Amino acid sequence: MNAFPSLIQKQAVDEIQECNDFTVKFGLTLSRQDAIELVETRNLSLKKYGRVEFGGGVINKIIKEFCDSPYISMNNYVGTLHELIEIFYFYKNETLDLISDDELIKFMKNSFDGKCQGSIELLSERELAKMARNLRYGYAPDYSEDSGCEEEDEDDQY
Amino acid sequence: MTNIEKRYIIDSNKLSGESYFNSLLQEAYTSGLINQSDLENIQLQCISLLAYKSERYNMGESSSIRVETAESIMKSIFYTIGLYLKSLSNSDYAITKLKSEKISEMYERGRKLIYSRFREAKHIYEMVLSNRIETLNHSYNSTLSENGIGIFFKSYNIEYEAYDIPASIDYQLCNPVNDLAGIEYIQKYLENLYLENVFCINFATDSIHYLLYGYDKGYPDLLVNIFEQVLTAALGCSLANRNIRELYISQEDIQYLYEKLLKYDKYTLLLNIHKAAESIFEEFYITNYLLKKYIEKSLPKIATNIEIAIRLNTLNRVFITSKNPDLEPRIQFKSGVKMDDEEYRRLIEELIRCRYTSDKLELIKKKVKSFDDLEDILIDAQLEEDEFISLFNTLGDVEIAAMIKRHPFEWDFKNVNTSEAEHVLQLYLESYIKQLPGSRRECIFQIAEQLLEVDAEI
Repeated sequence: MNAFPSLIQKQAVDEIQECNDFTVKFGLTLSRQDAIELVETRNLSLKKYGRVEFGGGVINKIIKEFCDSPYISMNNYVGTLHELIEIFYFYKNETLDLISDDELIKFMKNSFDGKCQGSIELLSERELAKMARNLRYGYAPDYSEDSGCEEEDEDDQY
Repeated sequence: MTNIEKRYIIDSNKLSGESYFNSLLQEAYTSGLINQSDLENIQLQCISLLAYKSERYNMGESSSIRVETAESIMKSIFYTIGLYLKSLSNSDYAITKLKSEKISEMYERGRKLIYSRFREAKHIYEMVLSNRIETLNHSYNSTLSENGIGIFFKSYNIEYEAYDIPASIDYQLCNPVNDLAGIEYIQKYLENLYLENVFCINFATDSIHYLLYGYDKGYPDLLVNIFEQVLTAALGCSLANRNIRELYISQEDIQYLYEKLLKYDKYTLLLNIHKAAESIFEEFYITNYLLKKYIEKSLPKIATNIEIAIRLNTLNRVFITSKNPDLEPRIQFKSGVKMDDEEYRRLIEELIRCRYTSDKLELIKKKVKSFDDLEDILIDAQLEEDEFISLFNTLGDVEIAAMIKRHPFEWDFKNVNTSEAEHVLQLYLESYIKQLPGSRRECIFQIAEQLLEVDAEI
């Protein structure tokens, strides 16, 4: 039984390293140690947010989605990935599993590159929080209550 | 020595009916039928089956699930495999299967078994609906309704929550279903209920109604088992040589039974009750083996109730005297014609302006001619507590009883929306009643029970 988790872990680390072939063209690579630490962050996040994962693949998906972001360079690559992984699992719970992995990652990427302009804090505290609330109340993920009001305010300025 | 049973390595009495798979594994491991490596192999197979089921649960859209969901799916897998293993001839054979068959194969067999049990349970539910008793008892009716057990057949999740019982079941059976879960529980519950109904429909609806009314006037709202009351009364009738079909035992019969049963020891009492049950079988030509078994299973419980009642001299709480509510004495109460609105308004204004209690009482005495007006004044005239008490002192027992009936101070879900003024009236009325001598209080409550309000002539 002891060999069971480490075997899965090794497989996950290998899969992450394979992503380097794809990300290298964006100037981003991960060392084996980085990959091991990312898997550890995933395990810790799963434990912290009371979730279990059988297949792997979420880290790979995050890497492949975010590698072309203009706000990610080799300097902040690993750190950003750690934060994105933790945020991902937190919002899987917050959205009551109403959104699929792919949709959530896509939403995170669009917000990160768009409204948040590369700020993880804005992504987590504002955009994803709003999206999770929308889903819980039965609205579309990008629904905004004050979009109409903002337009009116802008009109008032002129 | 009528039965010679083969002895098995695993003691089936130690196995749990609810979590059969887990207890079987535990027992098998303890008795050495499986070793550590077998156990690990089973665990690994269960985890991969859980991974497969979790993926299906997420429809491939999410790679992770909440721990609680995973636990629930795992519990469902264990329950399903347990159901299959339970269906095998004995527990030793179940272990052999467990070692030789794949977990996923056993799960599939269990799933098929649940599907067929589900169809069976649905059929029994329809049978129960067709032989249901006509009764006012709310828990019985609501349990049998579409919103009671009916929910189960719409919400039961065989794939992921097979161990769950998504139904609203309030009605208590005479022989409750223990140590079962999921479809097994529902099936057993419905089987027992069906047998209870089969027995009860031998009696007239009115006889059952009168019996339960004699048990408690509020029986429609009670969690009372109808079968148990009917069977006890039928046994009582048989023991007292009364007509079993009528379910009527008089107070004299109860006294006779008390004197008769007092002489018996526990064994003789049970023997006599069994004899009485035999006479019931004969009377109604009961030949159904399952029904006979079910009734016999209920007898020790009834015998214990009788035994305790004899000891405490409360046999009249076990053998109930039927009561026809239509034949109960009634006191008709007519409020009288209400005064004109304008005149009432003037009176209220005058009462509010008036400073002295004696003047207020005099005014009320002089002007108020109907009970409805008096009640309105108590609510509207903003009287003080001592004024209330003085006013109540001028009323007779019937008027007080009528006031209690209209403003019951015992909490009732029907009067949650009472106004503050009405609540004040209830409080003063309660404190007034409490300071009355016990005999008068009882008399008032008795009148309140028998009171029948008749609409005032307009």
